[in-house]
Amino acid sequence: MDEAASVRVLVADDEDDIRDLVCLAIARAGATVVASVADGTAALAAARAELPDLAVLDVSMPGATGLEVCGALRGNPATAGVRILLLSAGASADDVARGLAAGADAYLAKPFRVAGLVQQVRALTTRQPA
Amino acid sequence: MTSAVLGSPRPLRRRWGRLTPRLDHTLPTTAMVAAVAVLLGVGALPVAHGELVLAGLATASVAALVSRLVPGTAGAGDGGLTVAVVQLGAVGLLGAGTGSAAALFLLFGPVVSLVTLPSRRGVVAAVLGSAAVLAVPTLLPGGALPPAELPAALLLGPLVVGLGGLAVNEAGRRAERQVAVIGRLETERAALLTQVQSRADELDLATRMLAARAQTMTSVIDAVTEQSIIGTDRDGVIRVWNPGAEKMLGLQRPDVVRKRSIVDFHLPDELAAEAANAGSGAGLAALVHAAQEHGSDVRDWTYVAADGQQRTVSVAVTPRSDDRGEHAGWNFVGTDMTEARATERMKDQFVSLISHELRTPLSSILGYLELVMDDEEQPLTDEQRKFLTTVERNAQRLQRLVGDLLFTAQVEAGRFTLQPEDVDLAAVVRAAEETIRVVAATNGVDVHVDVPAEALVVPGDAVRLGQACDNLVSNAVKFTPAGGRVTLSLRAAWQAADGTVVADERPGAVPVARLAVSDTGMGIPAGEQGELFTRFFRASTARRNAVPGVGLGLTITKAITTAHGGTLDLQSAEGAGTTFTLTLPRPTA
Repeated sequence: MDEAASVRVLVADDEDDIRDLVCLAIARAGATVVASVADGTAALAAARAELPDLAVLDVSMPGATGLEVCGALRGNPATAGVRILLLSAGASADDVARGLAAGADAYLAKPFRVAGLVQQVRALTTRQPA
Repeated sequence: MTSAVLGSPRPLRRRWGRLTPRLDHTLPTTAMVAAVAVLLGVGALPVAHGELVLAGLATASVAALVSRLVPGTAGAGDGGLTVAVVQLGAVGLLGAGTGSAAALFLLFGPVVSLVTLPSRRGVVAAVLGSAAVLAVPTLLPGGALPPAELPAALLLGPLVVGLGGLAVNEAGRRAERQVAVIGRLETERAALLTQVQSRADELDLATRMLAARAQTMTSVIDAVTEQSIIGTDRDGVIRVWNPGAEKMLGLQRPDVVRKRSIVDFHLPDELAAEAANAGSGAGLAALVHAAQEHGSDVRDWTYVAADGQQRTVSVAVTPRSDDRGEHAGWNFVGTDMTEARATERMKDQFVSLISHELRTPLSSILGYLELVMDDEEQPLTDEQRKFLTTVERNAQRLQRLVGDLLFTAQVEAGRFTLQPEDVDLAAVVRAAEETIRVVAATNGVDVHVDVPAEALVVPGDAVRLGQACDNLVSNAVKFTPAGGRVTLSLRAAWQAADGTVVADERPGAVPVARLAVSDTGMGIPAGEQGELFTRFFRASTARRNAVPGVGLGLTITKAITTAHGGTLDLQSAEGAGTTFTLTLPRPTA
């Protein structure tokens, strides 16, 4: 877990309960939540300020959707390297395809298993260069 | 009408009949003999040999009587010939008896009678008879002619009679032939007229039937006020425009028929998009290409009414033929679906929204449950774990329901896509058995799996095929009482063109995979089997036995099967059990 302890994660979801759940899962994965926000605009600002290793973004958010935040991060050289995990209530193949096309590294449909989220976080962060 | 123009055939025979030789041939002679008798009585004629005169008059009288009384003797037949010859004899006797040349004029009567007979025998009889009549007086004492003139008189008289008689006879025969021809023609004409009359009557009947049929068709089409019926020629120019079209598109029949094209009422962009999509020609060709290929086509098009308003119309397009079977144009029967489609869209949006909104609280419930139940630092008591397991099971049930609702909405909206790959159906079936194993054991249902040891691969979406298989297996377990049995049987097979499935490969049959899920459950009443794949439908046996469910599983399974090009069939007997058979195409070897 030492390697993961240095991993810094941004969490953005407009549902407080879900956001807390995601934060708990990230803690279980041994990573650190550097910012926890409730809308897309705040997520973008926090990402630019904190430059996290991983951003866990809800797709349906006020301000800017997770897809828009995803596109903005990829479009900015400073944030283009941030790993992105999208969470969404949309579970269809089209939804997943749209998320990956926007530049996400992984896509997790709600309701998700906490163990599955922990696994995804670990997978995405262990590939992170030290 | 036709019959009045043609007129009825009139009997020609009645007009021409007078010309035919129906005269009493003996009558002139009888009249002349009567005149001679009168002349003799008044002494205007001399009597040389009284007995001959009497014999002549008697003979003439007998001939006259016979011709009056005996049928056939006054006409043109052999009887007439005989009577005329007898009369000739009477004239000979009178000539000889009177010794007067005047009596010879009496020859005229029987000679005319003889030469006007149809047969030439009459002429011969006239020649011979006249010769005899001329000769008889000269042979008697005090003959009328000096012996020196006798040969000339005997030669000249019959010659004149012969030649004249022949001419008359020939003219008579010709006239007779002409009359016969005219009679035949008259018969033929009458027959023809009858035929013409019969044809005219048939034509009249056919015309009236055709008019009645046209009237029926027109009245039916005119009675349709809620659907547009538009008929065009091959170029799309409108020929038929019913009240439904008037109502839907806001234009009256006289303003449209032969003046406007069907294309005028369509969105040009929609037609152009269809043309590009199907690779067909623009305009009318885009509208009718599918009907041209498949014989008919039903789909939604946007109609543009006269006031510019757009209507979503389900249009059935079919080609129309003329009476010779040649392509004559197109029929467009349209139903206004504007409101219905808007309602469907709203319903889909509603289902999507609700499903989406239900997922968020479900995420919290299931996520936090997982955290509590998997917390190794603070293990739960057995009772707590039992209660929370119940909460989790129900939350998962709710999650499945939401997923099913959303999926059904996607199927209905035609937004259902597959992620194709090679799927091992044997593995899918084994996984379905594993999933249901615990529930089946709890319910006391034995699940038997009969799948090939090797992989049975079909092209398809692994997740959706798994879902379809899970639905069938969980249904079977759900509907089977304790002590019952569920059998999952998977086989490679071949399907013939008529749909029959056989175990061995044979010509013309395509390879398929067949999964039969059989149970010994409560069964489905025969009258309800047709509705089983309708969404939210639940069999009465399920409701009666309080089997949980909302009636989406089979709808979804059917949709998945159809999307894979397969079929889903069932056989069921109430109280005995049900077998669902899922048939999917597999690649040719």
